[in-house]
Amino acid sequence: MDQSKWFFHPIFIFVFSIVALGLSLFLYIYWYVEVSSGLHTLITKFDLRPDQVLASQTWVVIMVLSILVGIILMGIFTIFVYNQKTFQLYRLQNNFINNFTHELKTPVTSLKLFLETFLKHDLSRNDQSTYIRYMLADVNRLSDNINSILNLAKIESKGFGEEFVRAELVQTVEQFCHDNRHLFKNCSITITNLTGKPIFYCIDRALFEMLLMNLLTNAVKYNQSGTPRISISFEVHFPKLLIRFSDNGIGLEKPVLKKIFKKFYQVGKSDNMSAMGSGLGLYLAQQIAKRHKGKITVQSEGIGKGAVFTLALPERSKLV
Amino acid sequence: MPPTEKQRILVIEDEEHIAEGLKLNLSLQGFEVRIAGSGSAGLQEWKNWRPDLIVLDIMLPGIDGFSVLQNIRLEDAQIPILILSAKATTQDKIKGLSYGVDDYLTKPFHLEEFLLRIERLLARSTRVVAGGGDGHAQVPEIFSFGSNQIDFTNAKAHCQAGTISLTEQEIKLLKLFISNQGKMLSRKKILEIGWGYAGVTTTRTVDNFIVRFRKYFEEKPKNPVHFKSIRSVGYLFEP
Repeated sequence: MDQSKWFFHPIFIFVFSIVALGLSLFLYIYWYVEVSSGLHTLITKFDLRPDQVLASQTWVVIMVLSILVGIILMGIFTIFVYNQKTFQLYRLQNNFINNFTHELKTPVTSLKLFLETFLKHDLSRNDQSTYIRYMLADVNRLSDNINSILNLAKIESKGFGEEFVRAELVQTVEQFCHDNRHLFKNCSITITNLTGKPIFYCIDRALFEMLLMNLLTNAVKYNQSGTPRISISFEVHFPKLLIRFSDNGIGLEKPVLKKIFKKFYQVGKSDNMSAMGSGLGLYLAQQIAKRHKGKITVQSEGIGKGAVFTLALPERSKLV
Repeated sequence: MPPTEKQRILVIEDEEHIAEGLKLNLSLQGFEVRIAGSGSAGLQEWKNWRPDLIVLDIMLPGIDGFSVLQNIRLEDAQIPILILSAKATTQDKIKGLSYGVDDYLTKPFHLEEFLLRIERLLARSTRVVAGGGDGHAQVPEIFSFGSNQIDFTNAKAHCQAGTISLTEQEIKLLKLFISNQGKMLSRKKILEIGWGYAGVTTTRTVDNFIVRFRKYFEEKPKNPVHFKSIRSVGYLFEP
């Protein structure tokens, strides 16, 4: 759709069809009035009984016509909006494919390079283990990428999992950080429960951990300080339970705050690598929050000032 | 055949693993290798270390590979440069080749093929240098437009303002404009290619140079015909 002719442009077609429809409504009414007044002269000329020929329903006809045209207009408008949305999604998806190709090709390139090196040269045991560790990291990166694609498909198809179990949230988060401590090596993570009592909640454990993984790895990935700090706090703001994830990362600009939860959206440009990752993480996290009848919001004071992601869950479904 | 004096190869690549892998293989092959993790670091290393060949990635943080390539080509048209990129479309290859890259290899690549290409490039460039190549850019040595004449051999211009000596930066920018004549250049691109800057540096610098060029080369600096402004975007040079 790059260099198509101006008369194929959706906005032009939209405006044109509305004008055409408006004009036709005007003409319908104009002709109708014309014809009926012509009939009137005929009737008076031949001295016929008017109600025999003209059931005077002029206003009814005009009203019906207007309603019909109104419905058609609404239809056109809806189609137009949907078309625009589809096009936007198409562009984002294209962007995503470009980025994702890079994300997939990079670890594969590295793996291939080292495997071919091993075939070609006899390396010392020490060197070998260094490069094998690189390769393992690459395999992990690759499988993370594949997982996020697969998870996306799963979450979008309605029947996924839905294995809700009762769990204590603070403990779940602590356990998660402990299990994945290799990912947060240089970070300081503090967890505080401001409610003062254990919080039992119905969650899908696998999904909830995926959400935690996305929020926490983002806090580390988009962070330029030597020791990334993440503080997680639990508090009740009736009727909601709030879990806040605040970090000292690179922060976000105001205009992108709302967009970051969109599918395939990435901060930065794809052509100069200022955009990282797949553009799926926060979209996934938001979908998971929705599955739990909650919502994720974000606040940031601006670039370089960190960000706070807040997961708000309805307090009432705390105990089921 | 092992090289008598170690030839130097600069690898500009932001993916650490790939960079390490390339360094390992090239070192085993008998080359001296350095790694630069970003476009600006790469340019710095190229200026200071003067490598014999450059392996260049395109998607780099800050200044991208294409700008690095253009920057280098403004000063040196001879040094062999091989692009190694995940970008595999024909458009990308054509873009790279039109900016003056010698070879283009897409990721993932075959190690053996990569090493052979490197050796070919080096062998050829050694021959060119031996044959009297002066390592100068693709711009002609004497360039005339309007009633102006620029002589790059002695950095002098015979122009509206009389005969003047050009500074190194002026020469670089003139070459950039000449090799992109008729094409719009944004201020950002001019900064990236001409100065090797990325990010927040003020674009006023570019404007100041343009003002100077107009004073040198335009009959009516207020109403330029060669160095045209494109509103809120950048500049266009037309001879």
